[in-house]
Amino acid sequence: MDVSVIFERLTEAFWLNCKLFGLTLAFSLPLGLVVAFGSMSRFKPLAWLSKTFVWAIRGTPLMLQVIIIYFAPGLLFEMTPWGSGASGRLFACTIAFVINYACYFSEIYRGGIEAVPKGQYEAGKVLGLTRGQIFFKVILLQLVKRIIPPMGNEIITLIKDTALARIISNKEIIMMAQEYAAKGLIWPLFSTALYFLIFVGVLTLLFGWFEKKMDYFHV
Amino acid sequence: MKKILAFVLAACMALSLAACGSAPSAESSVPAPSEPASSGEASEPAPGAESDLEYVKANGKMIIGYTVYEPMNYTDANGEFTGFDTELAVAVCKKLGVEPEFIEINWDTKEVELNAKSIDCIWNGLTIDDDRKATMALTDPYVVNAQVVVMKSSAEYTDTSSLAGKAVCAEAGSAGETTIAADENLSQADYISKDVQTSCLMEVAAGTCDAAVLDLTLASSMTGEGTDYADLVIKDRLAEEYYGVAFRKGSDICDAVNAAFGELKADGTMETLAEKYGLSLA
Repeated sequence: MDVSVIFERLTEAFWLNCKLFGLTLAFSLPLGLVVAFGSMSRFKPLAWLSKTFVWAIRGTPLMLQVIIIYFAPGLLFEMTPWGSGASGRLFACTIAFVINYACYFSEIYRGGIEAVPKGQYEAGKVLGLTRGQIFFKVILLQLVKRIIPPMGNEIITLIKDTALARIISNKEIIMMAQEYAAKGLIWPLFSTALYFLIFVGVLTLLFGWFEKKMDYFHV
Repeated sequence: MKKILAFVLAACMALSLAACGSAPSAESSVPAPSEPASSGEASEPAPGAESDLEYVKANGKMIIGYTVYEPMNYTDANGEFTGFDTELAVAVCKKLGVEPEFIEINWDTKEVELNAKSIDCIWNGLTIDDDRKATMALTDPYVVNAQVVVMKSSAEYTDTSSLAGKAVCAEAGSAGETTIAADENLSQADYISKDVQTSCLMEVAAGTCDAAVLDLTLASSMTGEGTDYADLVIKDRLAEEYYGVAFRKGSDICDAVNAAFGELKADGTMETLAEKYGLSLA
């Protein structure tokens, strides 16, 4: 078996991990903020609903959520919304990942928002800013600075969680490597670690740079 | 930071070199099923008789060559040697009035063992094919296996051409996968590989795949009435294969065993065994 062919196929498969990673981040970051606002809402039923949702999603394995999202519509209602083929599988997987990560992000946001001193809000009010203005012009940047380290943690976990996509036969890198392992060729499975290590290495550098960028910003 | 980066890159290179180095040695070898039999029996003088049956009866025992292969011949959790073929062979030998003696053989040299008279038969889920018919005497088929097409009972199916362009799944590396690749219509389908056969059933039940290609025994025990997959049915049988027992070319034991099979089928012994081990009788 040609080594370069195997690495080519592994790289191709890792592209699916990257797509899932990118799509999940793009949708769960804003959705997480919405959920965070829900949990902090002064309208009790909404806060209760939002907190229950976060509990249910954080309380069950992501693997199970992927299986449920993909199979449950077909098993319960005799129709599957995902369409056949590989794109339907990736779509279903992305939905499950977005929901799951939005819930984790929402708690990080909530922590960040609540950590901003009350004085900042009061100062905004004194200046005659509206609630929206206070959030976007005063709170948001302080929030971003505070949540970089925990966000970095979650985002690094995300790229490794993309390996779960194979549970509904998304041909991601581990599944590709297992195809070789099933034939008795085991080194591809272990060399997939390189892809994750390099990816996380780049992420770590990026977060470090970003943290430095935000350093000027003292409260 | 630069130092760390350099270290990480160096580690990566070292790792990938190690990976390349191990490539050739990691190539699999087919697992050797068993050790060759003791050749002690081979030197026993054949009593010159024409009849193989007489020879075995004179010895008072039938030497059965096998390899460890669940559910045919294996040692169970209690350390007891059992299996469908094991129990069936014991029952047949009782009918013939000889003692069974099981000897673990090397599957690659089974014909040599047989002709050297170090074993009297190969009884180990042996698939009947033309090559083997030419070199050995084979009994009537006693167990059937096949790759079957499982779909929802409401789905339309005439032959494999109904599935061209549809989503079809099978276990990665299974006989079902080989069957799909070999079929001119199924190979045109959108193929999904799963890690186990049972998750293929869930794909079909959820409608995320149109059909699954699975083992007959697994499919018949897990689909249909009284199972969680009551809505799924076996629509077609592909790549059917039959199991038989192999004796020396021209041996008359073959007929005697066929007759014994007839009796064991009539009194329900074989059916009970097949159910016990989850097999389908031919």
